[in-house]
Amino acid sequence: MMNLTLSRRVFLAGATALSVLAGGSTATLAAAPADTLVIAKPADPQSLDPAVTMDNNDWTVTYPAYQRLMKYETKDGKGLTSVTGDLADSWEASEDGLTWTFKLKDGQKFDDGTAVDANAVKFSFDRLFRIGQGPSEALPSGVEVTVVDPMTVSFKLGETYAPFLYALANNGAAIVNPKVAEQGDDDGKAYLASNTAGSGPYRLANWERGQTITMEPNPHYGGDKPAIDKMRIVIIGEASARRLQLEAGDVDIAEALPEDQLEALESKDGIAVQNYPSLRVTYLYMNNQKAPLDNADVRRAISYAVDYEGLIDGILNGNGKQMHGPIPDGMWGRDESVIQYNRNVDKAKELLASAGADGAEITFLYSDVDPNWEPIAIATQANLAEIGLNVKLEKLANATMRERFDTGDFGMATGNWTPDFADPYMFTSYWFDSDRHGLAGNRSWYTNEKVDELLREAALSSDQAEREKLYAEVQKIVTDEAAYVYLFQKDYRIAMRDNVEGFVFNPMLLDIYNIAGMSK
Amino acid sequence: MAEAQSTAKRSRFDFGYFGYQLKRSPLTMVGLIMVVLVLIVVIFAPVFATHDPNAIDLRARLAPPSMAHFFGTDEVGRDIYSRILFGGRQSIAVGFFVVFLAGLTGTVLGALSGLIGGRTDTVIMRLMDVVLSVPSLALILALAAALGPSLVNAALAIAIVRIPFYVRLVRGQALIVREMAYVKAAHTFRAGRLHILRWHILPNTLSPVIVQGTLDLGSTILLASALSFIGLGAQQPTAEWGAMVATGRNYILDQWWYSGFPGFAILFTATGFNLFGDGVRDMLDPRQKAR
Repeated sequence: MMNLTLSRRVFLAGATALSVLAGGSTATLAAAPADTLVIAKPADPQSLDPAVTMDNNDWTVTYPAYQRLMKYETKDGKGLTSVTGDLADSWEASEDGLTWTFKLKDGQKFDDGTAVDANAVKFSFDRLFRIGQGPSEALPSGVEVTVVDPMTVSFKLGETYAPFLYALANNGAAIVNPKVAEQGDDDGKAYLASNTAGSGPYRLANWERGQTITMEPNPHYGGDKPAIDKMRIVIIGEASARRLQLEAGDVDIAEALPEDQLEALESKDGIAVQNYPSLRVTYLYMNNQKAPLDNADVRRAISYAVDYEGLIDGILNGNGKQMHGPIPDGMWGRDESVIQYNRNVDKAKELLASAGADGAEITFLYSDVDPNWEPIAIATQANLAEIGLNVKLEKLANATMRERFDTGDFGMATGNWTPDFADPYMFTSYWFDSDRHGLAGNRSWYTNEKVDELLREAALSSDQAEREKLYAEVQKIVTDEAAYVYLFQKDYRIAMRDNVEGFVFNPMLLDIYNIAGMSK
Repeated sequence: MAEAQSTAKRSRFDFGYFGYQLKRSPLTMVGLIMVVLVLIVVIFAPVFATHDPNAIDLRARLAPPSMAHFFGTDEVGRDIYSRILFGGRQSIAVGFFVVFLAGLTGTVLGALSGLIGGRTDTVIMRLMDVVLSVPSLALILALAAALGPSLVNAALAIAIVRIPFYVRLVRGQALIVREMAYVKAAHTFRAGRLHILRWHILPNTLSPVIVQGTLDLGSTILLASALSFIGLGAQQPTAEWGAMVATGRNYILDQWWYSGFPGFAILFTATGFNLFGDGVRDMLDPRQKAR
């Protein structure tokens, strides 16, 4: 009896100690073979349908699986923000800028061997507009696609649209195999959510939810045979586990590591921490339709309460820059004459009192897809408590959180945004146009008729000086009305094994890898 | 018969004997000291704490242990030492809450079940079998998830799953006592069920319930920490040991102190309660007494 008791005690102590030390479960993998590229991601993709997904985290899979009419240029190993033809061999615009005609390249094939032709292009864009979700909003409404001949297709725009060619390099403008229409009567929506059907260098081979995604070369790909024979994406929730596997060589690329881990990795043998200036910003959504955030003074008070410098110095170790209005530094159209909110607790309290929102409760959503979000959430909660706002934090799975953005069932939330083309349109029309409420881009559910008008006018114009003027006016209104909390702009940092070669970073293609051009 | 009588006698707690036993069992003594230490520290947390447990200091984040922060700071610069002191309040309160709720409900249900018998007994016991037939951790997870993530809900979920253990314990005891001559005698003198419950059954079941409760405290604290660890228990910014270990995991490679100290707090408390609980059981178990 005594022995039994003792051993139970020892076991208990041992078990507790183990549970403390073990950290988390880490999937064990064999070291990555030379023809396999392994990428560790913090969260599973949600949908692989190019007409549905609005998340770079999904595009890691979809972008290399499809081709588009246009693609971003690469020069001397550097990703540019200008575009060139991908499936398009040549293109021309009519004088009024409303009709665009594209000649397709020969010899491009979907992964089932069918040739990519004008019909497939028409099908893809018709489908994109039929489904009508977020990705379709990158293009103006009323686009008509006609097949001129099997290898020529023309687009008729209802109105001029300055970033048209850029929008064709977007993930949403992917050319989809028309045969997906045979998969059920829902335009292949259910099928494409978890399968790929494109002409890109790779295709999806296997997807074990929450575990691994395997991609293999498209046997009928029209370009050169890629050096990497398999791309495997492993889903590892904890940042420290991602880092450990990178150190051990089990993974080649680890995404979304917090700043302090990246700093510790910089001095490790066999690992290269890449640093790229990017246009990615981190900001807070404030649901403009929900009390007390429907009151601009409350939103201003919050904007004054946040400790921007503390977040940048503390959480980012100084590797970031406070935003000044919605448009990031390095993007044309940015107007630095607008108000930049800085921490001013007295002013925040005053505004809150004048709005009569003292002691109000706000639900704040975040997920761990970005390791900086939790500290930001806790810090914001403490900052807002100082001025008398009661913030209730809710940590959710990333997919659940995004669903709630779409239904507007939240108060505040953390978010990152990176442009898909180098145009201020990405940071204005998406964020503030009341047509795009929810996941489509206007995550604050902001509504202002004047802003809508200005934005739509700016999108129609092809005169950059005039657009700049219109965007300046927009920035003035939306910063004054504190539609979002504009936090910071941060370099894109990613840790890879140092034998990974050929990666080209493009600030328009975050979380997207040019695997076909990579080797190790 | 002799055994049953001794049980009845011991129900009036004999502290002289208790103290004597305690001296004879050093491990129980160690457990008791650990438990008392934890209780003192936790009850007087505001006195011992050096910082406001929720006060952030972004520039001093992830600082190693020092004189300014005994156990270092976390990812938003909160003092881990102070958070452990206040976090203990959550964990230990959950422990007592669960044991009290499950113990009380279980005792009442078990006593009624044993005393009344018949259909009441069948219904209660089959219900308990249903609860017991599901793996308890799975049931706790399901309940906590259904109730929504919060520490109170986590405690409720654990309590619900623990109830059947007390019901079985007390029912068994009640079945024995019910057949005792003195109960039959009381019955003959037209004593009501409530009278028998109050004066005969409950006193006789007190000891095993106390033993079970003491043993449960340690495992409940561990369970509550586990629920917080996976995000179903305490929510930010509430300090709670399990939640602290969970967040600290992300920093464990460079900042060992973040999950290390709250982990040790869990280990220390659970060990203390378990040692003490085991000792109390040994003391109150009649079969051990002969030694």
